[in-house]
Amino acid sequence: MTFVIPIGPQHPALKEPEFFRFEVKGEEIVDVDIHLGYAHRGIEEAFSRRNYKHNIYLSERVCGICNVVHSTTYCQAVEQLAGIEPPERAKYIRAIIMELERIHSHLLWLGVAAHQIGFNTLFMLAWRDREYVMDLREMISGGRVHSATNTIGGVRRDLKTEHIPTFLRGLEKLEQSTNYYIKLFESDRTILARCANLGVLSKENAIKFCAVGPTSRASGVETDIRRDDPYGAYDALSFDVAIEREGDVWAKGMVRLREILESIRIVRQAIKEMPGGPIRTKVDSQIPPNETVERTEAPRGELLYYIRSNGTEIPERVRVRTPTYGNFASMKSMFVGGTVAEIPIVLWSIDPCFACDDRVALVDSHTGKTRVVSFDELRRWRK
Amino acid sequence: MPRIILQVLKNVLRKPFTVKYPYVRVEPPEGYRGAPVIDKEKCIQCWQCIRVCPDRAITVSKETKKPSIWHGRCTFCGECAEVCPTRAITMTKNFELTTYDIQRARSE
Amino acid sequence: MMEVVNFVINSLVFPGLLFASLVGLLYVGIDRKVTGHMQHRIGPPIWQEYLDVGKLLSKEDITPGAAQSLVFNTMPLIALGAIVAVMLFLPITSAQPALTSVADLIVIIYLLNIPAICVMLGGYSSGSPFGASGAARYVVQLFSYEFVFILAIIAVVARVESLSLGTVVSYQAQQGWLVLDWRLLPAMIAALIGAQGKLLRVPFDIPEAESEIVHGALTEYSGPKLAIWRLVYDIETLVVAGLLAALFFGGPTAYVIGDAQIPGVVDFLIKTLAIVLFTTTLRNIMARLRIDQALKFYWSFAALLAIISLILVLVVP
Repeated sequence: MTFVIPIGPQHPALKEPEFFRFEVKGEEIVDVDIHLGYAHRGIEEAFSRRNYKHNIYLSERVCGICNVVHSTTYCQAVEQLAGIEPPERAKYIRAIIMELERIHSHLLWLGVAAHQIGFNTLFMLAWRDREYVMDLREMISGGRVHSATNTIGGVRRDLKTEHIPTFLRGLEKLEQSTNYYIKLFESDRTILARCANLGVLSKENAIKFCAVGPTSRASGVETDIRRDDPYGAYDALSFDVAIEREGDVWAKGMVRLREILESIRIVRQAIKEMPGGPIRTKVDSQIPPNETVERTEAPRGELLYYIRSNGTEIPERVRVRTPTYGNFASMKSMFVGGTVAEIPIVLWSIDPCFACDDRVALVDSHTGKTRVVSFDELRRWRK
Repeated sequence: MPRIILQVLKNVLRKPFTVKYPYVRVEPPEGYRGAPVIDKEKCIQCWQCIRVCPDRAITVSKETKKPSIWHGRCTFCGECAEVCPTRAITMTKNFELTTYDIQRARSE
Repeated sequence: MMEVVNFVINSLVFPGLLFASLVGLLYVGIDRKVTGHMQHRIGPPIWQEYLDVGKLLSKEDITPGAAQSLVFNTMPLIALGAIVAVMLFLPITSAQPALTSVADLIVIIYLLNIPAICVMLGGYSSGSPFGASGAARYVVQLFSYEFVFILAIIAVVARVESLSLGTVVSYQAQQGWLVLDWRLLPAMIAALIGAQGKLLRVPFDIPEAESEIVHGALTEYSGPKLAIWRLVYDIETLVVAGLLAALFFGGPTAYVIGDAQIPGVVDFLIKTLAIVLFTTTLRNIMARLRIDQALKFYWSFAALLAIISLILVLVVP
């Protein structure tokens, strides 16, 4: 006899509202039903009412944690539409801010994952170290969360030479802390008891369900947009891609911790090799008719922007496909067969960012069919 | 024995990491984008700031005929300060902008 | 007549409800403050628990419609009554507790089970899936730690050859603390692990795992009823620490240092605070276990320690 446990829309395990309907037998999960759409804000419609320059700030506000990569992808897409290249120094500065954001996002993940398994001390320590990254972001861009440095044609603000020593000191502190967390993750018996062999996603399933980002890299799928399809300054920077084979929650955590170390390495390289020169080029406000697809590696996976222009100052259509939307399909195979106690940590292991992913199409998790829903139908949607 | 016990016992003897705000204030770095401030003497009424604001937060004030920025919509992006030809708008370091009356939270 | 007045003062003022609540809430406040410093931040002030319980007492009293109100409403009061009764059986000022009976260790074990059963019944009667889930986990947890706890107490009883707690304390006043006897050391470790499970502290706070099942069995409780549950948990902290202090660490002994005469109650407070701080350290260095992992851990490792201790006491002279 199955018993239904509703997780959401309001639940301490979720940081943002979504609805998961778990059918359990005792402590074992038998089935899960996922309902999305609680954070839908009509952003794609808002994109097609503002001009290209104003849309930069709108794209930043799709997600709070990964805002820089949204605005960078958007700016790169519009630059492709207009057919211009930003200057080299701008590309390096964009790379620095994006990697700082990756460090901040992964430390946030570590803290909340520790909270989900009851280890509040690690939560507080990880978020204490995150303050170092926030201070660096504040120094380089003027804001702790929203950087507002990207513009079409380059960046608005330069990295001053007198800030570089503070930068390097901050990066050293972060590297020390991350090495400590990696040692802790590998050796602490209670963390291993709660994270190992849980929420396993096999390599075939990861490829079949099109998982992206650290979720798929932890299952052994070797894909990273920064290396396979380089954009910006990434073809000149050298770094390793962190891969694990087991596919469980522990592997996902280790991939993210190793990525923090790689990001620190990239920022150090970029600061050393950054060329001089201008930081922005002039772009006409009217973009000729064209369409383009641009992909980048957000902290959570592959982020995709499709933009179509029609010769005016206002884009005709902007479509955002965020990484969490791609990871949803693999969640059912991670949950079924596990226990109720694992739900928060397995859910958090794909690093869900529900604010990013509510767009118009709905996926029926039982049959796998996709259906596009119009705005009117969404307003009259009842469940 | 868990590895973290050394860190935990060391922390008891250290000063806490917390900054006891608001009794202790931390100064934001140079270039921090806080509240914008308008110098009415320098403004030449070109209205470039109104055109470039992504949020329509700047309007013309009826009494002074100069721009007025409403904090309820301002995203503190700094585009108005960048585009102003006479540097009449500057971004200060003031981030303590809480108020009881949102309609009166303006920079003019 | 005098006995009735004595009993009323004992049960309501000292060492009953008033003393137990004041000291218990203070200890949990100290625990929160020390936890804050261990996590490299400033914790709440040490009287925060008084303010929390006071705030909850001033809120509106609500019973959910789906709950069975008779059971739901009386469970907190029965739990409070039981835990205050255990305070009367503990030696606090001297080797003589306020109430004695023939085999008071057995009475204490039974009385300590009553708050656990009340939490379970409160969870089941609350009519929500989180309450039922939390109560089910509590049943499994009770089944795990109770055996270990009882075995550790029986090891002490076999050593002292008496079932009365007052006798255990006076025995230790002459022969030294029982924890210094190497045969009883595994029993003390097992009792401390059992206490961590009884007090629902990480790594064993599974029935109240906040990020998984909101608040477990106490999800639907709010206002004054939740205040009484908080009071029960905090007095239970003091009681279990006091029991362990009396069993293994000599209980309250009056010292004479120089000219000053230090009463036994000061010694009791110091020992119980040390035990509470030890459980605080344990709770900050580990993650929470799953219920089946906790069951396995108790029945393999902790039970083994207690059994070893019992065998050593019975066999080795």
